[in-house]
Amino acid sequence: MSKVVVDARGEQCPMPVVKATKALQEMQEGMLEVHVDNEIAVQNVLRMVTGKGLEAKSEQQGEKHFVITAAVNGALAAEAVPSCCAPMGGDTVVAIGSAAMGVGDDVLGKTLMKGFIYALSQQEVLPAAVLFYNGGASIPTEGSVSLEDLKAMEAQGVEILTCGTCLDFYGLKDKLAVGGVTNMYSIVEKLSKAGKVIKP
Amino acid sequence: MMRQREFRVIVTFSTTTDAMAMESYCLSHDVAGRLIPVPSAISAGCGMCWSAPSSQRENVDSAVKAARLRCEGVYEMLI
Repeated sequence: MSKVVVDARGEQCPMPVVKATKALQEMQEGMLEVHVDNEIAVQNVLRMVTGKGLEAKSEQQGEKHFVITAAVNGALAAEAVPSCCAPMGGDTVVAIGSAAMGVGDDVLGKTLMKGFIYALSQQEVLPAAVLFYNGGASIPTEGSVSLEDLKAMEAQGVEILTCGTCLDFYGLKDKLAVGGVTNMYSIVEKLSKAGKVIKP
Repeated sequence: MMRQREFRVIVTFSTTTDAMAMESYCLSHDVAGRLIPVPSAISAGCGMCWSAPSSQRENVDSAVKAARLRCEGVYEMLI
């Protein structure tokens, strides 16, 4: 069985996926071997390969050396290549229902929530969406210290959505400063379709 | 669009209460900066610290003294 090797170490997103896709298109059958240097590239290449109906596996061979292998037999499924620059961990939704993180002292809880949102914005893998409701609805509004973090995440493709009923209840409808307004149907849909829900 | 990293001055405190007192002082005295979790490069432990643009270092130092807080460390790093 012939083997095609793609060495995408040192390549920035989306090049590992682009190179692996090109190699697959030129293969009729054989073994595809893709070398990358980070875990995110592994996930992106795996998603692309399995999206084409192939079985693939990955193996770490060094600190910054991962190898993805896939056996190619005949025609590939004609599925679109998933975008690797979409927000990673694209099925994760963060649900924030309070201005404070955890139960206890409210001042500490608000400080922790600010820290949580900052740390979230610094993650290499961002969630698909961040939902705000009830007391959490104040966080994406004017004057909030978390606006900078939320705007940075939104600029990277993260959906920032706040419950309209909650904004109305707290008199914050005109103060929303980042993201959009949503309703309960959309909140339920996003939560139920999420692969993972994080509630700080 | 990736977030722009910049050099910032980081002030750590021995207690969370002191870090929160720093935030309170700085907000009421228009001292630039914000409270963030202590970057992992400084400490693997938990805690909050004050982070401000490097250009504000003198103002931040003055704020620590004026608020009568004892900082644990002052760093400048790219975050």
